[in-house]
Amino acid sequence: MLSEMLSATVLGVDGVPVQVEADVAFGLPSLTIVGLAGSAVQEARERVRSAIRNCGFEVPARRITVNLAPADLPKEGTSYDLAIAAAILGASGQLGLSATRRCALIGELALDGSLRPVPGTLALAAAARSADVGEVIVPQASVREAASVREISVRGAASLGETVAHLVGLRELPAAEPTPIPDWSAPIGVPDLADVIGQPLARRALEIAIAGRHSLALSGPPGIGKTLILRCGEGLLPPLEEGEAVEVSRIHSVAGLIDRREPVIRRRPFRAPHHTVSTQALVGGGSRVRPGEASLAHRGVLMLDEMLQFRADALDALRQPLESGVVTIARVEGALTLPARFTLLTSFNPCPCGWRGSHRHACLCEDGAARRYLARLSGPLRDRLDLWVAMDEPDLRDELDGAEPSSAVAQRVRTAWRRQVERQGVGNAELQGALGDDAGLPSRLVGLLRQRGRRFGLSPRRLHRVARLARTVADLAGSEEIRQADIDEALAYRPERTA
Amino acid sequence: MIGVGTAGPLGGTDEGRGARRLTVVPGPARGAAAERAAWISLASVPGIGPVGFAAVVSRFGSAAAALDESAGDIVAQLPRPDPETGDALLHLQRSGWRRIAKELEQAARRAGGTVIVATDAAYPELLARLEGRPPVLYVLGRPDALAHPAVAVVGTRRPSGYGLSAATDIADEIARAGITVVSGLALGIDGRAHLAALEAGGRTVAVLPSPIDRVYPPRHRELAARIVAEGGALVSEAPPGRLSGKPDFARRNRIISGLAQATVVVEAPDRSGALLTAAAALAQGRELYAVPGPIDSIASRGCNRLIADHEAELVTSPASLLHRLGLSTRNSPSTHVVATLSEAEGLVLGALIKRSGSIEELGLRSHLETPALASALTLLEARGLVASYGGVTFHATLAARRIGHPQEVP
Repeated sequence: MLSEMLSATVLGVDGVPVQVEADVAFGLPSLTIVGLAGSAVQEARERVRSAIRNCGFEVPARRITVNLAPADLPKEGTSYDLAIAAAILGASGQLGLSATRRCALIGELALDGSLRPVPGTLALAAAARSADVGEVIVPQASVREAASVREISVRGAASLGETVAHLVGLRELPAAEPTPIPDWSAPIGVPDLADVIGQPLARRALEIAIAGRHSLALSGPPGIGKTLILRCGEGLLPPLEEGEAVEVSRIHSVAGLIDRREPVIRRRPFRAPHHTVSTQALVGGGSRVRPGEASLAHRGVLMLDEMLQFRADALDALRQPLESGVVTIARVEGALTLPARFTLLTSFNPCPCGWRGSHRHACLCEDGAARRYLARLSGPLRDRLDLWVAMDEPDLRDELDGAEPSSAVAQRVRTAWRRQVERQGVGNAELQGALGDDAGLPSRLVGLLRQRGRRFGLSPRRLHRVARLARTVADLAGSEEIRQADIDEALAYRPERTA
Repeated sequence: MIGVGTAGPLGGTDEGRGARRLTVVPGPARGAAAERAAWISLASVPGIGPVGFAAVVSRFGSAAAALDESAGDIVAQLPRPDPETGDALLHLQRSGWRRIAKELEQAARRAGGTVIVATDAAYPELLARLEGRPPVLYVLGRPDALAHPAVAVVGTRRPSGYGLSAATDIADEIARAGITVVSGLALGIDGRAHLAALEAGGRTVAVLPSPIDRVYPPRHRELAARIVAEGGALVSEAPPGRLSGKPDFARRNRIISGLAQATVVVEAPDRSGALLTAAAALAQGRELYAVPGPIDSIASRGCNRLIADHEAELVTSPASLLHRLGLSTRNSPSTHVVATLSEAEGLVLGALIKRSGSIEELGLRSHLETPALASALTLLEARGLVASYGGVTFHATLAARRIGHPQEVP
C-alpha cells in the first residue's frame, strides 16, 4: 500500500517542497530510504522505528520503501522524520482508510516520538506555502518561527501521536496566531560614539558608510580606536523594513541563529567574524550549503577587523557579493545563489609594526615589509572599498570632550536612509549608471569631479564611487541637490590620500 | 677643450684644468684616447676603488702603463684588493683593455648614457676636487646637470610623516632657488627629495649604488626615468652591462656628498646610511646640516646627535637653510589664488600656515565642523596649497606659505 506526505528541505537559504512517499510491500522486513538521502536522513530509519513503536503504533514487518522526491535533489538534515513516520503509518493502514488532511509535516523525531525543532523552519514553512497546502505542522518549539510566514495555517505538535491525532481528525491541533513583526529596539552592549576619543574624520566616514551603505576602510596604528569606531556602526543602523525583516530572519533561521520565541529580526545584522574564518564560513558553502557570514550580514554590516590578517582567498571571495549583492556557489548539481548585500566595515594596520605613516612614531618594519603587507589586499578588493581614512593617535586627549553621541548620528543616518529609499529604493552605494547620472550630479559638477580626478590621479571607477559618496553626503545634509562641497568632502576619503 | 695634454690631465701642465686638480697622478705615457680607455677599463675592475686607482696610476705613471704590468704587481698596490681582483685584471689584459673600454662605452650608450672620466671637461668640478674622486662616472641624462651648484638631501629609508614633510619642504625650496637637489634615489627621504624637486620644476641628480642600466631600488624606476626626462641625471660609478655586482652604498654616499656643496640630513636613526653620507661630507670638508626631530623619535636620533655633537648645523626652516647657503628663493609668490578661497578654506589654510596638524587639531583651531573641514582640505589639496602625508597630518605647501597668511587664526 502506498502513502504520500509533504515535507520540505532547505536549499541555500530557500525552502523547497519535498514529497515523501512510503510503500509497504511483501518481502523480508526492511526499511529503505531512497532519493539522494544523506547520512542524517539514513539515520532517520532508526529514529522513525523507535518513535513509531513508542507512540503505540507498530512498524510493519514488511519491506518498506521510502522515496523522497524530487529524487535528483540531495537531501540532508532531519526535517523529514515526521513526514517519513506519517507516510509509513499511512502506508501500513494505521491512519485509517479515510483520506487524511492535506498538510505539510516538518520536524525531527526523538526516540520517544516527541518532536524536536529543526533549523530553517521559517524557510520550510514558506516552501509549504509555495506548494499550496493549506497548513503545516511543525514542532511546538518552532511555532512562532513558522507562523511568521503568512497565508498558511501553522500548527504546533509536541509529538508524533499528536500529529497523527490531528491527521485522522481525532483531535485538531490549534492554528497558531500569525507571529507579529516586533517593534525595533536599540541593540544592547554596543559602544557609543561619545566614548570615542577624537578621530573626527573616521567618525564622519562611519556615518557616511552606514548612511549610504558604502564600504569603509580604517587604517592606523594599533590601539587608537579603529575597532571601537567600527563597532559603533551597529548603533547607527536603522531598523529593518518589514519585508527585509522576514527575508533576513529566514537566512538566520536556516543558519539556526534565531531566537525561536522572537523569530523575526528587526535589528539589522552586524556580523564580525574572526580573522581565522575559513572562506567557506565567510561566504557560505559546504557539502550541504550553509549561508556564510556574508549572507548572515545581508541587509546589515559585515565587519572585518584587522582585515589583512584574513586569508587572502577568503577576502577575494568577497568581491562578488560586494559587486552584485549575492554569493554564487557552484555545485555539481548546479549553482546556488545566496543573498549577501552588506555594508563592509574594515580596519587594518598600515604595516606589520603598525606605525607606518604615523606622525609621531617611526615605522620599524623592514624595507618592503609594509608593501608586502598591504599587497594582501588585492587591487580589485581595494577598488571596492569606498571610504578610506588613515588614523593616527589623537594628540590632544585632554582638550577633546563632548563628542557627539551615537543617537544624534543615528538620527541623521535614518533621515538619509529614508531619502534614498523614497528616491531610488536602494542604497546610494548600489546606484548604477554613467558618471554623474547615477548620483544625479549636474554636468558642471561632473566636470569638476573629472578635474579633481585628474589632479589626484583617480581611476574612473573611483570617480563613480566618489559621486555616490557625494550623494550620501548631500543626503546626510538633507539636501536633494549635490553641492561642490559634498564632492570635495567625498574626495577626502580617497584611498590615494592614505597611500 | 679636451683636458688631456701630453703631460697628462692631472700633471699640472695643462693650465686650464690642471690648476684645480689635486696633482697626484702623472699623465698617460701614450695617446690621450688610449689613456682614457685605460682609465675606463682599469676602473671597472672590482676591488679597485678611487684610492687604489690613484695608487696604481701614481706607481706606474699612467693607467695604460699599469695595465702592461703583471696583475700581481698591480694588486700589490691596492689597499684592499678583492679576491677576484687578480682574476679580473688577468681577464682584462688577456681580452685587451682597449676592447673592454670600448665595450663599456657601448654598454653605457646602449643604456642611453655616457662615460665621463675624471680627466674629461664634463667631470663635475666639485667632485674633481676630492682626493678620493671616482676615476670614472657613468651618467644617464644630461651630464651638464652635474655642473650646476647642488645641495644633497638625504635621510632614512623608513621615515616618519614628519621626515617626509621636511624632505619635501627642503627639496622644494632648494629646487625653486635654482639649485640642483642631489640624493641617492633610495626609498623614503631620498625618493621624496627627488620627487619634491621635480614637482617644484627644479633639477635633481640621483646617485645610484647600482649601474645606470639597473636602477636600484627597482621601485624607483619610474622616478628615475622622470628625473632623466626632466633635465636631471642618474650617476653611477658602477660599470653598466654587467649582470653581477651588488649595490655599493658606501661609494654611492661619498659621491652624493661630493657632488654637493652642502649636505642636509633630513631624518636618520642611529646607524642610518644617511649618517655615512654625513660623515663623508665632513671628511670632504663640505657643509653639513641636519633637521632636528622630536627627542622621543627613533627616526631622528641620528640627526639630533649630529646637531648635539656640533657636527651638523641645525636647520630651522627651509628658508633659513637657503639663507645660510647664501642663496635665496627665486620664485615670487602669486596672490590671486587666495582671492578665490572661501572663508572656511582661508581659515584652514591660515591655520596650516601657522602650524601643520591633524584634522582633529585643525577642527579645534578653526572651529569648523568635520564635513566642512574635510571638503576645504580637498579643495586646498587640489589647488596645491595643502598636502598631507598618508592623510594623517596636513601642512601648507611652500606655495601657500609664500602667499602668506590669508586669515589670522588663533
